[in-house]
Amino acid sequence: MKRRHFLATTTAGAVATAGFGTPLLGRAAETINIGGLYPTTGSLALIGQGCVNAAKLAVQMVNDAGGIKSLGGAKLNLITSDVQSDPTVTRTETDRLISSNKLAAIHGCYASALTLIASEVAERAKVPLITGSSSDQLNKGRTFTFTPFARASQFAQAQLRMSHLVSEKPKVAVIFENTAFGTATSNGLKEQAPGENVEIVMFEPYSAGFTDASPLINKVKSSGANMLFSVSYLNDLILIVRTMKQLGANMPINGGSGGFVQPEFYKNVGKEAEGLLGVAHWNHDIDADAQRVSAAFQKQYGEFIFEYAGGLVAQTFMLADAMERAKSSDPQKVRDALATLDVSRGYAAMAPGGKVKFGPDGKNVYGHPVGVQWQHGDLASVFPSQEARKPLMKA
Amino acid sequence: MFSTVAQAVINGLLIGGIYALVSIGVTLIFGVVKVVNFAQGEFVMIGMYISFFLATKLGVDPLLSLAISMPALFLIGVLLQETLIRRVLGLGDMPQIFLTFALSLLLMNVALLLFTANYQTVHTAYSDASFQVGPVYVSVAKLIAFVVAMLLSGALWLFLHATDMGKAMRAAAQNRDVAMLMGINPNRVFSVAVGLALALAGAAGSLLMPFYPAYPTVGQVFTLMAFVAVILGTLGNVTGALIAGLMMGIAESLGIQFVGADSGLIVVFLMLLVTLAVRPSGLFGGWSR
Repeated sequence: MKRRHFLATTTAGAVATAGFGTPLLGRAAETINIGGLYPTTGSLALIGQGCVNAAKLAVQMVNDAGGIKSLGGAKLNLITSDVQSDPTVTRTETDRLISSNKLAAIHGCYASALTLIASEVAERAKVPLITGSSSDQLNKGRTFTFTPFARASQFAQAQLRMSHLVSEKPKVAVIFENTAFGTATSNGLKEQAPGENVEIVMFEPYSAGFTDASPLINKVKSSGANMLFSVSYLNDLILIVRTMKQLGANMPINGGSGGFVQPEFYKNVGKEAEGLLGVAHWNHDIDADAQRVSAAFQKQYGEFIFEYAGGLVAQTFMLADAMERAKSSDPQKVRDALATLDVSRGYAAMAPGGKVKFGPDGKNVYGHPVGVQWQHGDLASVFPSQEARKPLMKA
Repeated sequence: MFSTVAQAVINGLLIGGIYALVSIGVTLIFGVVKVVNFAQGEFVMIGMYISFFLATKLGVDPLLSLAISMPALFLIGVLLQETLIRRVLGLGDMPQIFLTFALSLLLMNVALLLFTANYQTVHTAYSDASFQVGPVYVSVAKLIAFVVAMLLSGALWLFLHATDMGKAMRAAAQNRDVAMLMGINPNRVFSVAVGLALALAGAAGSLLMPFYPAYPTVGQVFTLMAFVAVILGTLGNVTGALIAGLMMGIAESLGIQFVGADSGLIVVFLMLLVTLAVRPSGLFGGWSR
């Protein structure tokens, strides 16, 4: 009895001093902390939780494969923090996470508006941050932020080019939610439309979280457009697509990124989602590694791994690759190793194009988006031709 | 042009029916019990989840589930009145506001815990169906929701005017003390009023389910619209809330069509401001209840 008590207290003490995730048995290899900042409560909770799930899966994959070998098989330990879909909380949580833990690197935060804040804090604290957020602003004046995937400006271009797949003379109605995400994306569309030979006949902001989409769709119908670009969060997009059907508005829809590429979208819209187009910075069919990751995710969570979460697995492997080469978990050294990352195979290269190498602005020089289409309940890559994994389905 | 306007008016009118149903509940509780119910939208959410689970687990059509969601919420309403609201009556505004506001937060977060933040939809044969009247498209699910909402409002009006309980309720709304002197049991009247108000919220939830996704914070949207409608239609006036709810639906729809898609609510609030400036007690202030 006494002995068991002794064991229990010493074990607890060891955990308390070394932090969670320390291997309790065998040789005490170093544990490397990685911070994950995601909104797991609030309006982005659904997606944030998916990101945390993917981050856990990724860490487990790295550890199961032997951890960081150049550091004696050191295991990664994920420390997550809830940024509550709120910019102010994001600032304090990023600060808290960095100051109360010895971190090698951070990833986060899904929403660009939140990532911009976290990357500012990480920059000051000199901790590298890797992210799938698409805002071009993340590449301005930062030396600790790395963005391995397509930028917002590239999304707009891909979306405009895709419109030529379904119409010879695209006349597009652009509707967008009126905060940072919608405004930035739609302005990108507006600026690049003339160069891509696309006519924008309606350009309309709306406030997210409306009760009824029919007035908005009525306006789209009367605009003379033959195609709709909707820059929307998930719930609005569900209502928009269903209302299009109810009001007899038969035109191709490009739902962009964000909510559109979530399995949740198809579950809610059903058959009406078939044939709809969108753009993504990652998709689960891009290569064999991505398909393996998606299968593992599906086994655990019941659905294919969505864009941001899949990219997050790749990001974790990029961090592991950097630590492997740096032979260190020191944030400055990890940052320097990330800056010279150049991969073209393995999970770290799991991106459209299959190559990752960061330029001086932290942008992947090979980064580009894929055009995707909902086909038989699955999201298939269809554009550009070298990334197409399925032929375009005619609606 | 004509068809665009006609379509906008029809769209607004149909969703206005739902606004009206939620607003009538709020105004009924305020009129009779003199408590502002900030949690009304959360009861719409509960109605939605009742219909959602009945539809997905037992295959019950959301419209038929009205027969379950309304009595269930009526009971919840009676319990709410007996156990919570009753204790804060006569203590002034603050405890009442805190009570219903806390209830709203509690219900949202319990729903988040139980049902997760996922959007849940029910697809019925008529969910996305519509028919054409001339150039105007009418959504079947929304039309059904509108018609049932109007029937329920009519039934409530009949109840308030043709039954003893209804008359007692109106009497209590006009002057609680005199009503008590006339032998009306206020506690019973209050329980029935809160029960009916919540039953209407539950009905709104079931009616929304075929064409609107359920999620834990869905009630917030409707609470906002309901409060505007209640003030526009004069606090405590059931007919006023009904008409104001419909007007707001149409105003919002026309606003989106002709002002801007993010300005639909501006038109609604402008309408509210003008009304308050001209008739501070609402459009139907001074009318009989």
